[in-house]
Amino acid sequence: MRAELELMASREGFSLRCRASYGPGVHLVSGAIGSGKTTMALAMAGLVPFDGDLRFEGVESKVMSLQFPEYHVTAASVDDEVRSWGLDPGEVLPRAGLIGRNAVDPFKLSRGQLKRLNLACVFALDPDLLILDEPFSSLDCRAKAKVCQAIGSRDGRITMLFSHERAMLPRVTTLSQISDAELEPLGAVPGSIGRWAGAPPYLRRALEHGARPRNIAMDDVEEALCATRG
Amino acid sequence: MIRIEGLRHHLLDVPSLIAKEGRVAVIGPNGAGKTTLLELLSGMDKPREGTVEVMGRRPELATVGWVGEFPDHTMLFSRVFDEVASSLRFLKVPVDVADRRTRATMGMLGRPDLLLRGTGEISGGEKALVALAAALAPSPDLLVLDEVDSHLDEASSRLIRETVLSSDQRAVYCTQDMDHAAAADLVLYIDGGRVMLRGPPEEVFASLEGTCFYPSMWRLRR
Repeated sequence: MRAELELMASREGFSLRCRASYGPGVHLVSGAIGSGKTTMALAMAGLVPFDGDLRFEGVESKVMSLQFPEYHVTAASVDDEVRSWGLDPGEVLPRAGLIGRNAVDPFKLSRGQLKRLNLACVFALDPDLLILDEPFSSLDCRAKAKVCQAIGSRDGRITMLFSHERAMLPRVTTLSQISDAELEPLGAVPGSIGRWAGAPPYLRRALEHGARPRNIAMDDVEEALCATRG
Repeated sequence: MIRIEGLRHHLLDVPSLIAKEGRVAVIGPNGAGKTTLLELLSGMDKPREGTVEVMGRRPELATVGWVGEFPDHTMLFSRVFDEVASSLRFLKVPVDVADRRTRATMGMLGRPDLLLRGTGEISGGEKALVALAAALAPSPDLLVLDEVDSHLDEASSRLIRETVLSSDQRAVYCTQDMDHAAAADLVLYIDGGRVMLRGPPEEVFASLEGTCFYPSMWRLRR
C-alpha cells in the first residue's frame, strides 16, 4: 500500500510543491498556520486541482476528515448523520461519547462533540488511506488521547496526520514539514526527530537536555528524558 | 474583578465565585460549560438566575473585549485598520484618537504592517492577532479569550499568549493548552457546569497530576 505524490497543488491563489512517498503507517505533516497543510490534504483527497502525479498502490478506500466538522454535516439528527456515512449509530455513538444524543441536531452539539462524532465515523470506516486535517483542534485532552489511540490501531494502513498539536501526539512513522510553499519529507522516526523544526515544546525541551526519544509521543519523550538522568 | 453569585444558567451552577486575580484561565473537558461562562462574563448572554459582575458592574455595562475561536467569523471590515479601529469607533471615540490608538495597539503587538493589509488576505494567525488588537484597543475592563489558540500553530499562539501575559490587562481565557493555563494567576477547572477546582496553577494542577490535564512541560520537570 502506498501513496506517491509529485505535484503542484493550488488553492485560492496559493501553490504548494509536494514530492513524497508514503507507505503504511502514520505520517505527520506539520507547518505554520497558512503554510499549506490543508492544501496538501485536500490534494491527496482529490478535492483541489493539481498539476503532476498522485498515484496510489493498493489503496482501495480513502476518507478525509476536514478541520471544521461542520462542513461534513448533511443530516438533521446525529443518528441520520452517522447513517449518512453508511454506519450504525448503535456502534458509533458510544465511541463518540454521545450515547443518548441520537435525535439531537448535529449543530446543537458543542464543537468538540461534533468533532468527536466526525472522527468516530471516519475511524469506523477504517479506510486504506485516512487523511486527518487538524483532528485535535477543539478537543479536550481525553478526546485527544482517544484519537491518538485510534490512529495507533490502524495497522497496515496509511494515516496522513496534518496537525500543529503541541501536547498530545501519537507515535508516528515519518515526519514531514511544509515551509516556503514546499513539502519537505524528513524521513522515518526516530532519525528525523532532530531535523523537525515544528517539534512541540515538550520535545524541543527534551532534545535540548540530550534526550534521544524513540518516537514523538509524550511517553517516549519522558522515557528518554529519564534515561538521560540515569 | 469578577464576582458571581447564585448563578444557574443552562449547565452552569456556580453558587459563589470571586476572582480578583488579573489573569484567569478556565479549563475543563469539552461541554463542561466554559464557553457559556465566558459568554456571560462578556455580556453576550444574561444569566437566567443569579448575578455576574465585572469590575462591580453587569458585563453589558462594562467594556469587554472578546476574541473567539474563529476570528474570521467576527471580522466586519475588509481593511485591517478599520477592523481594529471599529471597536473604538463603535464607542464613539473621536476619529483622531481612535486612529492614534489603533496604530498604537498594532505597534504594541509588533505588527503595525498589518494595518495596511486586507482582512481577507492575512493568515489565520494574523487574523487572531487582529481580533486581539480590536479587543484590546479600547483598553477594556476585561479581555475574554475563548479557545483562541485552538486552531493556531505554536508561534502564533505563543505571540497571543505573551501579549496577554505581558500586559496589565485583566483577562479570562479558556484553553485546551494546559501549558498556557499554567501561566495564569488563577485557574478554574470546570466540569459538568460546576467549578470543581479553583486556585493558583500549582494548587489546581497538583490535584490534576496523573490526568491528561496536567501541563506537558510540568511532566518533564518531575
